[in-house]
Amino acid sequence: MTSIMGHPAGGEGIGYSFSQPTAANVKQHGFYPYTDNGGSTLGITGSDFAILAGDTRSTSGYNINSRMVPKVFKIGGEDETGEGAQIVLSVVGFAADGDALRERLDAMVKMYKYKHGKPMSVSACAQRLSTILYEKRFFPYYVHAILGGLDEEGKGALYSYDPVGSYEREQCRAAGAAASLIMPFLDNQVNFKNQYIPGSGEGHALEAKKAEPLPQATVEALVRDAFSSAVERHIEVGDHLQVMIITRAGIQEVFHPLKKD
Amino acid sequence: MDKLVAQYSRPQHQNELYSEQEQQDLSQTLPPLSLKFSLPPVDNRASFLRAMTDDHSNPSCPIKLAHGTTTLAFRFQGGIIVCTDSRATAGNWIASQTVKKVIPVSRLSRGEDKPSNDPTPGLLGTMAGGAADCQYWLRYLSQQCTLHEIRHKRRITVAAASKILANLTYAYKGYGLSMGTMLCGVTPQEGPALYYIDSDGTRLPGNLFCVGSGQTFAYGVLDSNYRYDLSEEEALALGRRAILAAMHRDAYSGGFINCYHVKEEGWVHHGFDDMNPIFWKTKLDHGEFSNVTSEL
Amino acid sequence: MPGFDFSNYNRNAALHARGVPLPKATSTGTTIVGCIYDKGVVIAADTRATSGPIVADKNCEKLHYIAPKIWCAGAGTAADTEFTTALISSNVELHSLSTGRDPRVITCMTMLKQHLFRYQGHIGAYLVVAGVDPTGTGLYTVHAHGSTDKLPYVTMGSGSLAAMSVFESTWQPDLDRDGAVSLCAEAIKAGIFNDLGSGSNVDVCVIEKDKPTQLLRNYEKPNERGTKERNYRFPRGTTAVLNERVINKEDMKKYVTIENLSGDTNLAENMEVDS
Repeated sequence: MTSIMGHPAGGEGIGYSFSQPTAANVKQHGFYPYTDNGGSTLGITGSDFAILAGDTRSTSGYNINSRMVPKVFKIGGEDETGEGAQIVLSVVGFAADGDALRERLDAMVKMYKYKHGKPMSVSACAQRLSTILYEKRFFPYYVHAILGGLDEEGKGALYSYDPVGSYEREQCRAAGAAASLIMPFLDNQVNFKNQYIPGSGEGHALEAKKAEPLPQATVEALVRDAFSSAVERHIEVGDHLQVMIITRAGIQEVFHPLKKD
Repeated sequence: MDKLVAQYSRPQHQNELYSEQEQQDLSQTLPPLSLKFSLPPVDNRASFLRAMTDDHSNPSCPIKLAHGTTTLAFRFQGGIIVCTDSRATAGNWIASQTVKKVIPVSRLSRGEDKPSNDPTPGLLGTMAGGAADCQYWLRYLSQQCTLHEIRHKRRITVAAASKILANLTYAYKGYGLSMGTMLCGVTPQEGPALYYIDSDGTRLPGNLFCVGSGQTFAYGVLDSNYRYDLSEEEALALGRRAILAAMHRDAYSGGFINCYHVKEEGWVHHGFDDMNPIFWKTKLDHGEFSNVTSEL
Repeated sequence: MPGFDFSNYNRNAALHARGVPLPKATSTGTTIVGCIYDKGVVIAADTRATSGPIVADKNCEKLHYIAPKIWCAGAGTAADTEFTTALISSNVELHSLSTGRDPRVITCMTMLKQHLFRYQGHIGAYLVVAGVDPTGTGLYTVHAHGSTDKLPYVTMGSGSLAAMSVFESTWQPDLDRDGAVSLCAEAIKAGIFNDLGSGSNVDVCVIEKDKPTQLLRNYEKPNERGTKERNYRFPRGTTAVLNERVINKEDMKKYVTIENLSGDTNLAENMEVDS
């Protein structure tokens, strides 16, 4: 963890450092409860919808555990099919932690509905997810979560999280193994970063292209292109693309094939 | 009769989960130390956490946490100026360029954070270090401040609020929290007050603080141009300029410049602006940053 | 002094001890296989090169020339397989020139193992050596530490288990050419689809006595990229330009000599670089 005071964090209290591979005082950790199951997820919002997507490959090392392990889940549905849900959660990282997290949040959202007689709002669910993650601050869930839904005004809402629960509402977010491949693409194509309006001025007067909510068809195409490109260059991404589209009409789930090599 | 009983007794499931625990939390001034947080089943928890999440001594650790970076706040004749950058990094990865590192504290007097020219009463906290630590504990502090307001029918002083936070971080010392925060507010008892609190348990009152990996760059600009009798415009410009200097030289700072002014009636937001055009404007209009050139 | 330069060894060891990571070498994950049949031998490889989890090259060549009738499939560190096979290829050529005989596969295999053993596994080359020579067909594996194997069908690389499962279930002793080629291709595909370190296309090399060696580059392409749904062409002027300077031919002449060529694209390939 970067020291906030500027001086390095090493040296105080702990008796070892990973940067000394040879010394005899190196202690081997017998307890390693995490595995990276690879894969990637991505979410984009529009004016009246939110889309969350993820590939369905589960890996460990160079092996494929399964070609069909969904990473995107409906939260707070009436039964195990997720019927009636209005919130979607995607988790990438360590799949077992992801499942545990999904089950906890799902239970919370259901309990809220039974107690208060109304579905939980996305913003409330987002805050609850943050505290669930932070409760394991000292033994974190090894996941990057993205939560999607529609806010009180019916606009697409997307919240992204770090493993211990810091969160932020955003227009788009990629997480997981291929996040570093997909996120720059999204910055450029969704928020129009580094794009200027041709002929709008000379030198510094050139006007930056303003980000506006994109139509649903465009976003769906962007999501598929992002994943088909990530598959080309990242070995842990592939097999199938699972897409959840959240609109006022409900949640639509679609699967697309991806390359399997 | 059964009907009446059913109406006034709670169904069994409402007693499940955290309801009692939650009520306890609301009535307690301090959270229970180890009941609420799950801990790893190892002897040395701090070193386990470091092995899993500390990217300074272990660049290949599995869990990279989002970190906040350059923040500053200073007192002057017109109140307190608070400025921050907006970048969050996880290792070498820029996790976000749009983080809101100024967090309003205390609910009763807090409105929605919508652009408005009317001052919003309440305190402001800043975020440096672990983003989740700051967000969670400032929210916790907000809850405590609200309870204080309800119990005592008056707003909490900055001194008291900062002490709640400092006691908290001191109680968790050694657990691996990482936060460096500044609490700012103007109260009738204290006037404009500014406190620095960090995860070591430090709590300092002061006139001027910069916190984060870009703090030295911000101090450089701030110290050389700071006067107590700055006008409001000058003070805002100085805050922005100090953050700009830090964003320019510190790789872990960048994005947008977030500016707040805290005065007697409350705080006012003064923009969340992309650093890039501001940088070029500063360079071309004022002749600063002359080492940066687009000449070929 | 020919050979490796160790002058930075101590510096790099010290840097590594201080936590500076070593630069990533390309490719450790690969599937390579070989299989003999009645008249010759087939080797095959996938075409993915990786750097950590990132695909560095989607269509690289892992089949290396040693002699006209001896070829090598390489797994492990890309640079090591490349240079080791090139070095041994030169030595095999010199050896055959001085003896006046066609080179033998076992000679090549012995040179490789002696070279690799000397470097104690630090040269990360894992090879399948195959060919025909006056003594018959030869098929060997050579590991980075210098151990070798002689078998009727072999697999190596991270996809070796997947590929071997195909051989173990479907290999027969009396294969013909086409049977051997398709069996090798199937084995490589098992690696491509089940091993994350392997992917893209299948390269095959068929070596037979009294026939020219056939290198079947991209023998199968089971993983072609589909078309993108959107067009990502930016209108001219999208990128902000702070300043521009045009350097014309007259300016360039101050530093280099310029010769005009016709627009013929073949010309560049035919140009003599060192005459």
